[in-house]
Amino acid sequence: MSDPLLAVTNNKATVEGFTVTHGVDLSVDEGEAVALVGRNGAGKTSTFRGIMGLTPLAEGSVKFKGEELTELRPELIPVRGIGYQPEGRDLFTGMTVEENLRLPIWTSGKARGVEDEDAMVESILDLFDELSHRRDTEVQNLSGGQGKMCAIGRAMALDPDLLILDEPLEGLAPIVVEELKGYIQEIIDRGISVLIAESNTSHVPDIVEEMYVIERGSIVDNGDPKELTKDPDIQELMQGGGN
Amino acid sequence: MIELPLFIDLGDAAVHTLNGIFRGSILFMIASGLTIIFGVLGVLNLAHGEFYGIGAFLLTSIATFFVVRIAAPTDPLSTAIFAAAIVIAVLLSAAILIPIAGAIEATVIRPIYDRAEMYQLLLTYALLLILVDTIRIIWGSQPVRPAAVDGQQIHAALDVIPMEELFGFQYSSVRIFTIFIGIGTFLFLLWFFDRTKTGRIIRATAIDREAATAIGVSSDRVFTLVFALGGFFAGFSGALYSVSAIPATAEMGGTALVLSFVVIVIGGLGSIRGSFVGAILVGVVWSWAIAEYPPAEIAAPFALMILVLLVRPEGLYGAWGEIE
Repeated sequence: MSDPLLAVTNNKATVEGFTVTHGVDLSVDEGEAVALVGRNGAGKTSTFRGIMGLTPLAEGSVKFKGEELTELRPELIPVRGIGYQPEGRDLFTGMTVEENLRLPIWTSGKARGVEDEDAMVESILDLFDELSHRRDTEVQNLSGGQGKMCAIGRAMALDPDLLILDEPLEGLAPIVVEELKGYIQEIIDRGISVLIAESNTSHVPDIVEEMYVIERGSIVDNGDPKELTKDPDIQELMQGGGN
Repeated sequence: MIELPLFIDLGDAAVHTLNGIFRGSILFMIASGLTIIFGVLGVLNLAHGEFYGIGAFLLTSIATFFVVRIAAPTDPLSTAIFAAAIVIAVLLSAAILIPIAGAIEATVIRPIYDRAEMYQLLLTYALLLILVDTIRIIWGSQPVRPAAVDGQQIHAALDVIPMEELFGFQYSSVRIFTIFIGIGTFLFLLWFFDRTKTGRIIRATAIDREAATAIGVSSDRVFTLVFALGGFFAGFSGALYSVSAIPATAEMGGTALVLSFVVIVIGGLGSIRGSFVGAILVGVVWSWAIAEYPPAEIAAPFALMILVLLVRPEGLYGAWGEIE
């Protein structure tokens, strides 16, 4: 079997001296869609930030295409081919949708081999067609769903091999959740690997192939998403009865 | 007993106001850097005024170097050559501050970004004192002017445009030129942050440093660039001030810093438009105070600041932390 695209091994992320993940292991294969589910505060965001180099790791390794990422400066990680949509949306306010999509290309487009800036922006706006007629809108004026689309689109501007989405469906109306899932499915269909965090197990089983369950900074289970969501222990855990 | 003038001559009023706009232009070039550095790096650089002071002293040395080597302006050609030499001297003075400010950021400021503000204030204050002493060591404690040209100051040699015929009163053409430079700097900064890729990358870093890192921005490089840019404009401003007949003193950086605080608080921290409007307001109020009631020279701008804070606590253009 070939090496996974992303292999996280024994990750112990620390925030202000406190260990917030206690040895997370997970992997994403090329072209695979993987979910990391857990309640708020379970360690999903810390795991992702550890991968992106934004939260220091006390221990552990993050290998992407065989390269150790923990030795890299954080700004070099996106250039290796990882697009990251932070929790919330963290867009660049005061700037338009289009500027937000172009900024990654300006900073790292050359290093990523994105030759045609306009074509890349158009391809993202084609995907998120709802965003295309709001291209000149300043991002703080977008709706919740459009904001998430813009944040995912920004992460896609560097033509990533792996897209890390931190709760892209959080806080959205059910109809918008369905719409966004459609977009994410389309991204997966394009062959981009996706690692997606969710606090609601019912959102993801139909779009991912593998699911990890995280609780108190440790992976407690992983496997087939449809099986796992039926597991009474997992259901109880996700509903907050695990204590 | 202080006598307040009963009426102010219109010519005087225009001169006070122009002096105010001149001082405002100088202040803007200092305060805009201070506000941008604060907006992007989150550090209030107390040593920022010293970049202005160093720029002024550098100009005295570099201009003197030129003045003693080239012909005094007597006809249009020699005046043009002389003016060009002074412009080069100003630009050189400012350019020298790019590596100075950049190196200070990379070595001293960078390690303390994540520290509490008290550390940052103490450290930049220490830097201020060290730079003041450095100025004293290099240029001495006495006020310094560039060498005279045929017995007159540089600005006098350059003040050849007949302002009296143009405007009905006498005013320094060097100062008018400086005012235009101030306005030009303002327009340049607006354009730079609104239109250029680099400017927008800097803004993105100011808005969300981590999101910027996640799209490949090296915040270290951005911070050094911003600090160097701020140093350049402060030095530029000091050099221009020095050309305009005002001797450079070791204390000038401190005064400039204090007034820059007033400017950016009035304008709204992080706002370039705010710094410009604030600088012109402070400059005009300051100049009128100097001319009409000198004891209130420092109190007047601060009174204006209190007034603005009472009416609009976020400043005229409240944009805390974000460049606009």
